[in-house]
Amino acid sequence: MTPRLFELMLWAAGATVLISAVSILIGLAIGFLVCAARVSRTRWLSTPAAVFVSFFRGVPLLVQLLLIYNLLPGFGLYVPSVVAAIAGLSLCTAAYQAENLRGGFMSVPKGLLEAADMVGLSPWQQMRRIRAPIALRLTLPALINEAILILKASSLISVVGVVELTRMAQNLAASTYRPLLFYSVAGGLYLVINWLVAGGGSLAERMLKKERA
Amino acid sequence: MTEVSTPTGPAIVVKGVSKRFGDLEVLHGIDLRIDRGTTTCLIGPSGSGKSTLLRCIAFLEEATAGTILVDGAPLGFTEGPDGARTRLPAPSIRAVRAKIGMVFQQFNLWPHMTALGNVCEALRTVRRLPRKEAEERGMAQLRKVGLENRAGHYPSQLSGGQQQRVAIARALALEPEILLFDEPTSSLDPELTGEVLNVMRALAEDGMSMVVVTHEIGFAATVGRHIAFLDHGRVLLDGPPEEVFGAPRHPRLEQFLETYLDRGAATLV
Amino acid sequence: MLDFGLIIKQMPAILAAFGVTFGIWIVSMLLAAALGFLVAVARRFGPKPLDWLLRAYVEVFRGTPFLVQLFLLYFGGPYVGLSLEPIPVALLAMTVYGGAYFSEIFRAGFEAVPRGHVEAAECVGLTRAQILRRILVPEMTMLVLPLCVNMAIVLLKETAVLSIITVPELTLVIGVIGSQQYAFVESMFLLALFYWLLVELCGVLGRWSEAKLSRFRFAPS
Repeated sequence: MTPRLFELMLWAAGATVLISAVSILIGLAIGFLVCAARVSRTRWLSTPAAVFVSFFRGVPLLVQLLLIYNLLPGFGLYVPSVVAAIAGLSLCTAAYQAENLRGGFMSVPKGLLEAADMVGLSPWQQMRRIRAPIALRLTLPALINEAILILKASSLISVVGVVELTRMAQNLAASTYRPLLFYSVAGGLYLVINWLVAGGGSLAERMLKKERA
Repeated sequence: MTEVSTPTGPAIVVKGVSKRFGDLEVLHGIDLRIDRGTTTCLIGPSGSGKSTLLRCIAFLEEATAGTILVDGAPLGFTEGPDGARTRLPAPSIRAVRAKIGMVFQQFNLWPHMTALGNVCEALRTVRRLPRKEAEERGMAQLRKVGLENRAGHYPSQLSGGQQQRVAIARALALEPEILLFDEPTSSLDPELTGEVLNVMRALAEDGMSMVVVTHEIGFAATVGRHIAFLDHGRVLLDGPPEEVFGAPRHPRLEQFLETYLDRGAATLV
Repeated sequence: MLDFGLIIKQMPAILAAFGVTFGIWIVSMLLAAALGFLVAVARRFGPKPLDWLLRAYVEVFRGTPFLVQLFLLYFGGPYVGLSLEPIPVALLAMTVYGGAYFSEIFRAGFEAVPRGHVEAAECVGLTRAQILRRILVPEMTMLVLPLCVNMAIVLLKETAVLSIITVPELTLVIGVIGSQQYAFVESMFLLALFYWLLVELCGVLGRWSEAKLSRFRFAPS
C-alpha cells in the first residue's frame, strides 16, 4: 500500500470518528429527553418513550438507516446522505443511552436524596447537584461501551453512500483488487480507535474512582 | 445550639401519630414529648416502628393520622377539631423542617463530594452563602467532630466512623434545633462506634436536643435523659432511664434486652 | 402505496427469505454458543499461550465491525483459496463473530461463581471436569441466561447485514420487492415491524425462561 492510499484510509478513519462522536453526543441529548419522558408519571409521555426505545433497539440498524434515508425525501427533506446517516445513528444510540441513563438514575441510593432533602435541597437542586452527577458517573462505563458499539455500527452507513472507513476500504479494495489488505487495514484501524476510546474511558473511570464509595 | 424562640416549651410533641403502609399499620397512635436540650432515646426490637417514628418526625414519611409539633408549629399537616387533616403549604413545611437535622444509619454522604463539600453543600445551594463563608463554617463543623484534617477526602477514603462524623457535621452545618439519629452506629464495626458515640455525647453535653434511635443500650442509659421503649408500634414505656431500666422491669423490655442484645449488655444496665 | 395484492403474490419468496434469515440465525447462534463455550473453557483451564491466542481472537472480533469481517471473508477469502457462496460465508462469519462475544459471556459466568463453591467441590474430591460439569455450568446458567438472550437478539439483527453480500434473506428480498413496486419505504417499514416483533418475542421468551429458572438462583452470600 502506498503512503498516499494509507493517508486516504486515515482520513476515512477520521470521518468515522467524527460521525460517531457527533452521533453519540446528539444521542446522549435525545437519550436524556427520552429517559425523562420514560420515567414520567404522565402516560402520554412515558408510553411513546417506551415505544421509541423498544423500536430503535428492536430493529436492525441497517433497516433503520434504509428507512430514514428513503423516508426523508418523502417529507421533502433532501439532505446529504451523511446527515441521514447521523440521524439514524443518533436515534439508535439514543434508545440505548436512554435505558442506560434510566438504570443510572435508578441506582442512585435513595438515602442520598433523603439526606439532600433533610438539608433543604429542592427537588430541582437534588437533581442538579446530587442525582444527575452520580447517575452520570454510574453510566460512564455504559457510555464508553455505547461509543465503541456506535463506532463499529457506523460501518453500516457505507450502505447509504457515506464515505467513511468501511466505504473507503471497499472502494480501494475494488480498484486495486486487494481486498485482504484493505479490509485488514480497516479492521486494524477500527481496533486502534476502539482501544483508544476504551483506554480513555478507563482513565476517566480511574480519575473518578477515588471518590467512588 | 443556643435555645431560640420558645425556650420553655417542648422541642417536639407527637400527638396520636399513626402510620400505615398499605394494609400494615406500623405505628398506632403514638404520643411522645421531647424536651428541649435533652437526649431522647427510642429503643425497641426490629419492626417495633422506632425508625418509622423518627422518619415521620423528619417528614421523610408522612404520618397517616395525628400531628407533630416542632417548636409549637405543626409539621406537614394540621388537624381540625373534627379530625380532618389539611396539608400545609410547601414553604411552611420547609420552614418547620429547617429546624430539624438528620443523621442516617448508612451515613448517606454524597460520594462525588469531599467531606467539606458534603458539609458545605446546603450552605451554598440552600442558604446561598458565598463559597468562602460556607467553607469557613463547614471547617468549623468538621473541627467540632475532629475531622478538619480530612476536609479534602472523599467519603470512600474515610472509615465508617469518620464518614458518620462527617454526616453529623453536615447535619450541624445548618444549625438545626433538633438532631435526629437513625441507628447511627448500626452499620459500623464495633471498634468504630466509640468515636461516633463520643461526638454525640459531646453534643448532648452542649445542650443539643436530640432524638436517637439506637441499639446501644449503654449509651441510652448514660446519655439519654428520656427513654421510650417501642413495641409493635406502640410506646410501651416512657420515662427517665432509671425508671425504665430499673427494677421491676417490664417483661417485654426484659425479653428485648435478652433476645436482641447479648447478656453482657443487659446486665450492664 | 404498497400493493398488498402483489405482496401476497410474492408470499412464497418472502417465506423462503424468512426461512433463510431464521435458519442462519438459529444455526449460527448454536455454533457460536458452542464455539464461545469452548473458547471460555480453554481460556480458563488451558495453558497460558493458548489463553493469549484466544484473547487476541476475542479482541479482534469484538473490536471490529461485523461488516468488515464479512467483507474480508467474502471478498478476501478467494485470494487465500476460500471461495464460498454467500450463505456459507454468512454462517461462518456469524459463528466466528458471535463466538467471540459468547466466550466473554461464559467467561464472566465462570468468574461470577463464588470461589468458595469451587473450593468446596475440590475439598470433597471432585475432579476438574466434574467441577465444570456439576458445579460451574449449572451455577452460571442462571447468570448468563439474560446475556445469552441478549446475544441472540444481537445476532438476529446482524442477519440484516448479510443482505449486503447478497444472502437472499429477508432484508434483501423485501428490499428488492419494494424497489420493484416503487414502495421501498413502505416495505422497509413492514420489515422493521417484523424484526421488532421477533425481537420483542425473544425478550418475552427470555424473561419467561429466566422466571422459570429463578429457583436455581444461588442464595446471596
